[in-house]
Amino acid sequence: MREPTAKNPLFGLMAEFDDGERLMEAARSARDAGFRRMDAYTPFPIEGLAELVGFRDNRLPWIFLAGGIGGAAIGFFMQAGISLAYPLDVGGRPTVAVPAFMLITFELLVLGAVSAGIFGMLLLNHLPRLHHPVFGAPNFALASSNKFFLVILGNDQKFDPKKTRAFLERLKPVAVGEIARAEEPE
Amino acid sequence: MTDLTAHPPRGRRYAEITGEITRVPLDFPQRRNWWILFSFSLLLLLVFIVSAGVLFTFGVGVWGNNIPVNWGIAISNYVFFLGIGHAGTLISAMLLVLNENWRNSLNRFAEAMTLVAVTCAGLYPILHLGRPWLFYWMALYPNTMTIQPQFRSPLTWDFFAVLTYLTVSLLFWYIGILPDLAASRDRARKRRWQVFYGLISLGWRGSAFHWARWRTCYAITAVIAVPLVVSVHSEISLLFAAGPIPGWTSTVFPPYFVLGAAFSGFAVVSMIAVVLRHAFGLYAFVTDRHLDLLAKMLLTTGLMTAYGYCIEVFDALYSGEKQDIATMFDRLTGGVAWSYWSAVICNFVPLQLLWLARVRRNPWLLFLISLSATIGMWFERYMLLVSSLYRDYLVSSWDSYFPSFWEWSLFAGMLGVFLTPFLLFVRFLPMMSAFEIKEAVFEQEQEGEEPRHA
Amino acid sequence: MSLRDGHNGAVGARIGESLRGKSGRTFWRSLDELAGTEDFRRFLEAEFPSIAPDAGSVNRRALLKIMGASLAMAGLAGCGGETDEEALPYVVAPENVIPGNPKWYATSVTFGGYAQPVLGKTHTGRPVKLEGNPDHPAAKGATDAFTQAALIGLYDPDRTKAPLHLGRATTWSTFDAAIREQAEKLDGTKGQGLRLLTGAVSSPTLQRQIGDLLRRWPNARWHAFEPAQETTRRDASRQVFGEPLDWHLRLDKAAVIVALDDDLLGPGPRQVHHGRMWSERRQAFHNGKAACTLLVAEPTPSLTGTMATERLVVPHARIAILLAAFAQALGLQSGVQAPLDEAAKAFAEHALERCRRNPGAALISVGAQHAAELQALALLVNERLGALGNTLGFTDPVIAEPPDGSASLEALVSDMSRGQVGTLLILDCNPAYTAPVDLDFADVIERVPLRLHAGLHHDETAALCHWHLPLQHDLEAWTDARAVDGTVGIIQPLVRPFYDVRSKHVLLENIAGRFDATDRDLVQATWRTAWGQDFDARWRDTLYRGFIPDSVLPEKAPTFNTNPITLPQPPKADGLTVLFRPDPTIWDGRFANNAWLQELPKPIGKIVWGNAVFIAPALAGKLEVENGNEVRVSQDGAAVTGPVWIVPGQEPDTIVLTLGYGRRISGEDIGGGLLHELGYDATPLRRAAGPWALAGAEIAVTGNHQDIASTQYHSAMDGYDFVRTVSAPDEQAAEKKKQPSFYPNRKWDSPSWGMSVDVDLCIGCNACVVACMAENNIPVVGKELVAMGREMHWLRIDRYHEGDPADPAMYFQPVPCMHCEQAPCEMGCPVNATTHSPDGLNQQIYNRCIGTRTCSSFCPYKVRHFNWFDYTADDPPETQAARNPDVTVRQRGVMEKCTYCVQRIREAQISAQKDGRILVDGDVRTACQQACPTQAISFGDVIDPESAVSRRKASPRDYTLLEEVNTRPRTTYLARITESVPGKAKS
Repeated sequence: MREPTAKNPLFGLMAEFDDGERLMEAARSARDAGFRRMDAYTPFPIEGLAELVGFRDNRLPWIFLAGGIGGAAIGFFMQAGISLAYPLDVGGRPTVAVPAFMLITFELLVLGAVSAGIFGMLLLNHLPRLHHPVFGAPNFALASSNKFFLVILGNDQKFDPKKTRAFLERLKPVAVGEIARAEEPE
Repeated sequence: MTDLTAHPPRGRRYAEITGEITRVPLDFPQRRNWWILFSFSLLLLLVFIVSAGVLFTFGVGVWGNNIPVNWGIAISNYVFFLGIGHAGTLISAMLLVLNENWRNSLNRFAEAMTLVAVTCAGLYPILHLGRPWLFYWMALYPNTMTIQPQFRSPLTWDFFAVLTYLTVSLLFWYIGILPDLAASRDRARKRRWQVFYGLISLGWRGSAFHWARWRTCYAITAVIAVPLVVSVHSEISLLFAAGPIPGWTSTVFPPYFVLGAAFSGFAVVSMIAVVLRHAFGLYAFVTDRHLDLLAKMLLTTGLMTAYGYCIEVFDALYSGEKQDIATMFDRLTGGVAWSYWSAVICNFVPLQLLWLARVRRNPWLLFLISLSATIGMWFERYMLLVSSLYRDYLVSSWDSYFPSFWEWSLFAGMLGVFLTPFLLFVRFLPMMSAFEIKEAVFEQEQEGEEPRHA
Repeated sequence: MSLRDGHNGAVGARIGESLRGKSGRTFWRSLDELAGTEDFRRFLEAEFPSIAPDAGSVNRRALLKIMGASLAMAGLAGCGGETDEEALPYVVAPENVIPGNPKWYATSVTFGGYAQPVLGKTHTGRPVKLEGNPDHPAAKGATDAFTQAALIGLYDPDRTKAPLHLGRATTWSTFDAAIREQAEKLDGTKGQGLRLLTGAVSSPTLQRQIGDLLRRWPNARWHAFEPAQETTRRDASRQVFGEPLDWHLRLDKAAVIVALDDDLLGPGPRQVHHGRMWSERRQAFHNGKAACTLLVAEPTPSLTGTMATERLVVPHARIAILLAAFAQALGLQSGVQAPLDEAAKAFAEHALERCRRNPGAALISVGAQHAAELQALALLVNERLGALGNTLGFTDPVIAEPPDGSASLEALVSDMSRGQVGTLLILDCNPAYTAPVDLDFADVIERVPLRLHAGLHHDETAALCHWHLPLQHDLEAWTDARAVDGTVGIIQPLVRPFYDVRSKHVLLENIAGRFDATDRDLVQATWRTAWGQDFDARWRDTLYRGFIPDSVLPEKAPTFNTNPITLPQPPKADGLTVLFRPDPTIWDGRFANNAWLQELPKPIGKIVWGNAVFIAPALAGKLEVENGNEVRVSQDGAAVTGPVWIVPGQEPDTIVLTLGYGRRISGEDIGGGLLHELGYDATPLRRAAGPWALAGAEIAVTGNHQDIASTQYHSAMDGYDFVRTVSAPDEQAAEKKKQPSFYPNRKWDSPSWGMSVDVDLCIGCNACVVACMAENNIPVVGKELVAMGREMHWLRIDRYHEGDPADPAMYFQPVPCMHCEQAPCEMGCPVNATTHSPDGLNQQIYNRCIGTRTCSSFCPYKVRHFNWFDYTADDPPETQAARNPDVTVRQRGVMEKCTYCVQRIREAQISAQKDGRILVDGDVRTACQQACPTQAISFGDVIDPESAVSRRKASPRDYTLLEEVNTRPRTTYLARITESVPGKAKS
């Protein structure tokens, strides 16, 4: 999801809720109202929220799979290749001892999958990113504790500072605030 | 400590959960005791450094090993530490997969314990080498001899297994703690804390998009981690089972080792849980119900291990191999029978108390039973290793093994290696998964149940 | 050799040394304490007994010094070693010495006066290995353990390096001056009061010199004393034939050998000769060509008893009765009438029955430690059996007979006590330690005004003498000596003396006041007179051969003066009988400073670095003692205290003590004062009257415990088939079937190496073990480490018992690396440090090994050994000089094991290639195979069906050790043949 750039007047408008379910409803109605560029901030994952604010991304499982296959392939062919490149009679065992090689193959499969997946996740989430406009918002520190925030981004087609604020007010939030635009473009 | 679950509105409850957990590192309640314990573990660390120094200076001969008992406490401890290292990932991953929410209060420090335990385990094989300065020959690297590790060797398998296990556990633990690091960052008042948490929380802000990917990632990793745990300790068992030595060369070993590992691991987790909850008054999170569940796990894995003991005996008898049977009887009656029976008694006798709900919910009884199980499992590792080596095929090569002062001192020092990083974790990081607890509360409410913490 | 023990040695102390001066951080300082301060170490040892061995005990410290840690080449440099005369073929000018190309010299080393023929291998002038001389008629290329170990006897840095006068170092010139005027005095008195005491003398040159001396000084007298000698047989032949004769037992001609307490195959100068003859007969028996039966009656297990077809456990005193029974059965009177018990009767019947079946091929021998009367009766019995001239031959004594015969030392002692001895020269013997106690040698020698001692070490006797004159070692000397069969060997030096020492020939000249001749001149003089014209040719030829062909003494057919023999009445058996035996590895103590022999397991007891009080299981049960418990063996007043070692198969009322330990060497003279801490001294119980047996002894438990280091603590075979037995040479030992395997069946191309060990020929003599140590630079680790199970012998000889501990069947089984085709060790190694070579060797790559020890853990035979400490780094230069440059010296932390002497394989292949010929069977001989007196070990290409080893492996007796493990070893065994003996069940 592309974020507002320095060209947009505002980064977005943020509505604060103190309950997850209320946030869900808010997100739903925002969606119905035709807003497409939104984001929500919660202290813990909430089932289905992401979809409401427009999350459409299923690349991660494929990254895991790719990492796994890659790791396994490296694992096996490394062993076979090295054994063939410098063949030694080890206790009369076959040079390419497939059963014996399976263990390291499996280990590298796991290693490949997990590291690819986890670093992939961070990458897709654009983390680490130590600063972000929302951190400027009032009360946002509570986003990791007990507050729930809905943000309608400044680069949404239907975004209009006045109308959107009014719309958010109607969702009975605890408060609505502006988020200043990002200082410098990412 | 009041029960948070009784307090509407929810918002405050979430705040208190987070507060309770992030409070511990931020304004540490147990400073004095922590320092006492920490300086003690530093002392042990010192013992470790001295013992290792002596070992490296004069050679592994300062230990009590000989031919035939090439391996001693070093390797049995390697298996022991790796074993207890398995609980963390098991609890965390397996219970996550099974969607057992009660894990949320335990998985964080269980995983931390796993990390330090695996580190200890990983050190031992290096220390026990005849030429430790060449340990990196176990690894793959371009060299002028153009020679690489020997992939049919159980040691090479172990090398990769332990490395993988350490990396995966570390990553799994880190993404698990990430949101709570962010929470700590937001709770922190002092600048240096904010910078510290700010950096290690990578700027996590709890965006719904992030949560979505995080969820997928965490779940898949958990699914992969469970077979990993099994594979790792199965491979450790092959370090013995692959050798044609009576008492070792048995297909029972892999499951036998894995179960033992889970058993000892749960024992250690229970001990830590009891201590932490008492020390930091976390009764709200580690409730009696948690102890009860832990105790049940302990009992289950314990009984499975007991089954392993029976199968081992059966296996020897059923094989009909004179040598295997001799070794089996020697374990029961011979020179190291003391370690066999210590293992049986420590492992399984106090364990039976856990059939009683009262005992399961009594923290200190649970602690003692877990302690005895831990010790018992140490004896088992020792027994399995020594009993097969000191009397193998040819009676002419039979000999005995007495661990030397330097082996014991290294063991003591290794406890320092275990305690020091763990105490630092307790001191500086949120030791429970606040956000997952909150999530659990939230979901239960959605389902309209009377919320519990897990 | 054993210097390295220091490492493990005072670990504590070394911590101190190595860390002192490091940064003063607290833990280093505390480590310093740990190492340095005595009481802290005591505290630790009290707390943790397990560190006691590592915490620098006195023994270890001293052990450092055995083989002279203290001494460096300085000793070699700073001495006027003689300039090199043109020895043959040692004349080669240095520029012709090609490093890496060894030179071989045929020579001998002496043992108990006899020459033990060897080929000496030298690298750039350094003797590095002794091997048997294949051409020699007696040894035929074999050696014993003593001969193999003579090499480091040469390099022993505790040898005296310069003359001592009154214990202070002096120069030869001072000695020369003193002795010159002494000689003038003696000229006046015709040698009045001059006495010469030597060990056993077979050297023609020495005999000639002594003869000359006595001719010049008629009033002088020569005495000889050799602690373990066959004087009784000589006396017997004097009694029966009227002349002293040497007996030559022709074991190769004997279908039946009845050995009455006679260790024919046991350690001693005759071991190689006897072993070789017996094994030839035994191999003929294997091929169905001859009968070969060995019946042994003995009070304590010996190597001979171990190999016996039938063995009878009988007290020492009843040997006479048993012999009398034989005599009687053959119609001879002996004056002894005593009933035989059932077992003995049965034994006697079997023996006689067999002897009768083999007229002229039977032989009865009684141990030389038994009285002359028994020997005499044995002669008569052998005569009746038709043994004389067939299985028993006679020659004039090979060892020169001193004037007073077997009472030579007694005569000297009585003269000394009567003050009739003015000057005493003791030549290369140590009576102050080895003489029976009741001769009071140490006291009476004080009455001699001038006492000179010549020897290699400043031993007990040297300490009592005014002058101590260092002698040359045989390997650096010109001399000559006769082998046990009488063949003369010319002894030429492999290297000229390191130290400022003299030849015994030169010394004898000096005594006579002559100072010009060199040892070489003196030896040549002897043979110039003997050979006359063709001296030069024969001299060359002899030096090339190492011995004078056909120089055996002429066979004698003596005539009997048949006056009846009456045996001394056997003493009433009250109390226990103590038997004295020379130690099987350090003999009478002369090899005490030889680390290879100290660490060599005693063949029967398998103990090292000390002796023990050997008792039977029954007696141990009665006393309620176990191995290591200290006992006190006493007989009227005199007593010996030592730790018990239980010997299955020993007679219950018999105690065996061995000589050579508990040395009274003062302080740090030899072995850094270690020697008097090792074992006990049996001398206090030895009487001149009966030096080998003592009746009516008592034994008492002291309650103390002494540590005994052993290399094998369990010997009961427990029903396993490690050593398989068959009842006939052609019986199948194991059914031949290739075991199934998951692994590909590899095709081996020739050559592919393998070994076959015949346990029916192995007499457990240890020659192979020492040969292996010498060939492969195997370190000696010391008593404490052996006790910890860290001995390094690549080749060990397992000793097994089977059946009733009172009278078990006994077996020896040499165990080298099996070189398994499907080796678990190779599979276990994570770094490819042990793999299989194309020619079937299980290789150990030291510089790749990181010391995980998995290979040893997985090895079913436990033949791998580990360098727990750095055993080699700071060896003294002597030790380094003795090393075989063809074999890597291993570093700390690596595994090592038998390589099938791969260096010899490659050497043979390379030289074959250089000569453009193909490698033929027998080109490669491993060190153990080369040394073996009985040819028990066979090695070669297992692919070539015609090779000796393949033919052996084709034998029905061939079997695999631990076949069930399916490792497919290349080393296999031939089963022991045990004829079923009636009335003797084997469990």
